[in-house]
Amino acid sequence: MSGSTSVLLAMSAPPYWHCGRTIRQTSLYMLVGLAPAIVMAVWNWGLPALRVMALCVSTAVAVEALCQRAMGRDCSVDDFTAVVTGLLLAFLLPAAAPWWLVMLAATVAITLGKMAFGGLGANPVNTPLVGWAVLFVSFPLFMDPNAMQLTTDFTDPLTRLKYFGAEAVADISLMDLLLGQQIGGLGASQAGALLLGGSFLALRGIIRWQIALGFFLGAMAPAALCFMVDPSLNASPFFHLCTGSIILGGFFLITETANAPVRPLPMFLYGLIGGGLTFIIRKYGIYVDGVPFAVLLANMLTPFLDMIRPKPFGGR
Amino acid sequence: MKEAFQMLSDPRFHLLYGVTQRFGMGPEPRRVRLNREGFKLVEGVAKKVMVYPRMRLAVHPSPLKGDAFAPIFGRITDITERSIFVDAVEPDDDLRQAAHEAKQQKTDLLTLTEQGRDLAVILKGLGLNTRSLGQDCETLIINALNPDPGVTWAEPMLLSHADNLKVALEVLRRLSPARDIILAVPSAMRLQRHDVTVVGVPAQYPASVNALVIKAVTGRENPEGVGIVGLHNLWSLGQVACTGLPLIETVVTIGSLRHSGNYIVKEGSTIGELLDFANIQLKSGDTLVRGGPLRGESLDKLDRSVTKGSTGVFVVEAGTIPPMEGHSPCINCGACTLICPARLTPSMLSRYAEFALHERNRAEHIECCLECGLCGYVCLARRPVLQYIRLSKHKLGLSGAEAPLQELKPRAKSIDAASAAEGGK
Repeated sequence: MSGSTSVLLAMSAPPYWHCGRTIRQTSLYMLVGLAPAIVMAVWNWGLPALRVMALCVSTAVAVEALCQRAMGRDCSVDDFTAVVTGLLLAFLLPAAAPWWLVMLAATVAITLGKMAFGGLGANPVNTPLVGWAVLFVSFPLFMDPNAMQLTTDFTDPLTRLKYFGAEAVADISLMDLLLGQQIGGLGASQAGALLLGGSFLALRGIIRWQIALGFFLGAMAPAALCFMVDPSLNASPFFHLCTGSIILGGFFLITETANAPVRPLPMFLYGLIGGGLTFIIRKYGIYVDGVPFAVLLANMLTPFLDMIRPKPFGGR
Repeated sequence: MKEAFQMLSDPRFHLLYGVTQRFGMGPEPRRVRLNREGFKLVEGVAKKVMVYPRMRLAVHPSPLKGDAFAPIFGRITDITERSIFVDAVEPDDDLRQAAHEAKQQKTDLLTLTEQGRDLAVILKGLGLNTRSLGQDCETLIINALNPDPGVTWAEPMLLSHADNLKVALEVLRRLSPARDIILAVPSAMRLQRHDVTVVGVPAQYPASVNALVIKAVTGRENPEGVGIVGLHNLWSLGQVACTGLPLIETVVTIGSLRHSGNYIVKEGSTIGELLDFANIQLKSGDTLVRGGPLRGESLDKLDRSVTKGSTGVFVVEAGTIPPMEGHSPCINCGACTLICPARLTPSMLSRYAEFALHERNRAEHIECCLECGLCGYVCLARRPVLQYIRLSKHKLGLSGAEAPLQELKPRAKSIDAASAAEGGK
């Protein structure tokens, strides 16, 4: 005991070991997963993309800090969750979006999509998508990448598919789509980079692979079915996978844990429903992409899916 | 599957450590602190009385709780409601003589003819707790897994101290009313014994939690008539059977981030002396844990001591895990639900407890919680999830009810009542 009597011990609650994962670390992992898409977005869209991302992220962080001050809470922007939210929102916007649109979207997302419900994890639907949806129905023209990106050689594959049919998109190579050579949300269109980052996060257990798998299956299985029935009317499932924001949605939006079910089977069903809705909106709806609305709808089913639960240990 | 996706990537959770070294002897304590909660002091035991090793100091009214013995030569410096303090002194000739005589009074358990409850009374007189060893059941499973990650004494007990185990099993057969006695060991160990049925069970924590060991062995959840006892208890029984003398020592794992070792230490040894002995330096901000790192208790002072049931002493260095900060609302990430071996929703349980809605936890089946601690281990928000659940259980009066099988019902009520009355005086 000699010499150690002056030591002040920290009292704690069991367990005294921890897996080491924190909210902050999870957010940093998310940023690592999004990094390839950031690089590809700047590669394909240049500085305008960087401008939108920076503006969106900084607005999101500032609005969260202001909200927390107004609510009399401790400032917790150092957990980087607002950065992830801002970045995901920016990924859905066109690279040529005007500054006021970006700032408005970030403000709505953080206030209405997150802080109004009490902060991190309390929101019933996906935070970035709230900002996106409000702006999309308010300013459809400014939010439409195809209408905003006038000075580019890329084409918008989904608009082509919708208005010119499957034959018009038959010559678009999958490689171009994977490399992000398409018109779409500035980050959402970086299909290959998102696939890379998303797979990394799923393997690390940061996002739930059951949801992502369900989502991709839900979107691609009916697409494959239609493609097999009549290839001249329907695009291939891989075309669907690599266009719009399916990969962004499946890996990063629908998997937001706060509004996803928590058990494996409900998670898979939830992903399946989200993916299925995406395909239905694409094929029969008026929107070309469909992912954001499908994810928002699936989010609202979470409480019901959470009712699917096993009996507790020893329960009869 | 969970392991593959990094939910539990910690290699320490594989409860087979390849440690087979025989236990080292712990330090000769300079001061001991013995628990006497509920005990009645033996006549003549008071402050300033000189004591010698294995001198009976106090008796518990319960027939299942072992008597308290002095572990060292010393002088009683203080007796409180909860503890007896003894400071070590150099013995004089009288004390040496008394100790020598105490050492001659051996009880050869192997030649005794007593069985069951009668044997339990003798074992109580030798300082053994027989609540779980002698419990009333059809099948008794010996849980031979390391109870918590980081605790490493189970393998040496099975492999290097096999003589102790053999004798213990022989006595256990006469003590326990169970028809079958099953030794549950990690299946990767491939242990074979001719004197007891050996069943291999998984070894990835939380597999060592009693209810999960029972499930692994019987294939059923909470079956009737199955009892379980820890290997630690069995080792104590073997120690008494081998020496024929009262139990004054226990086996603990002393561990920190870098160091880990198993020692036979005197009961009542203070944690400070044990850490000094194991050469573990404490810094301010470290957390001191008695018991396992997942289910143990955090201590505030170095003069707390180890008791017969202590499985280990651990130091969790400041900075090795993210600190627990006061205000940490649940973020609904669902990691606890995914990991929960009892298939509960710890996030809801902890939130109901947080807002004192304990009754709602009944509908969430809080009584099924196995208290393995994994919910807190994976919690991103660093919430004290297990603590919240224990609070709620306590408030609902369930704290003791999760192990109803471990109650040994006394066959002769009169003895229990008589000894209880004696203790109450």
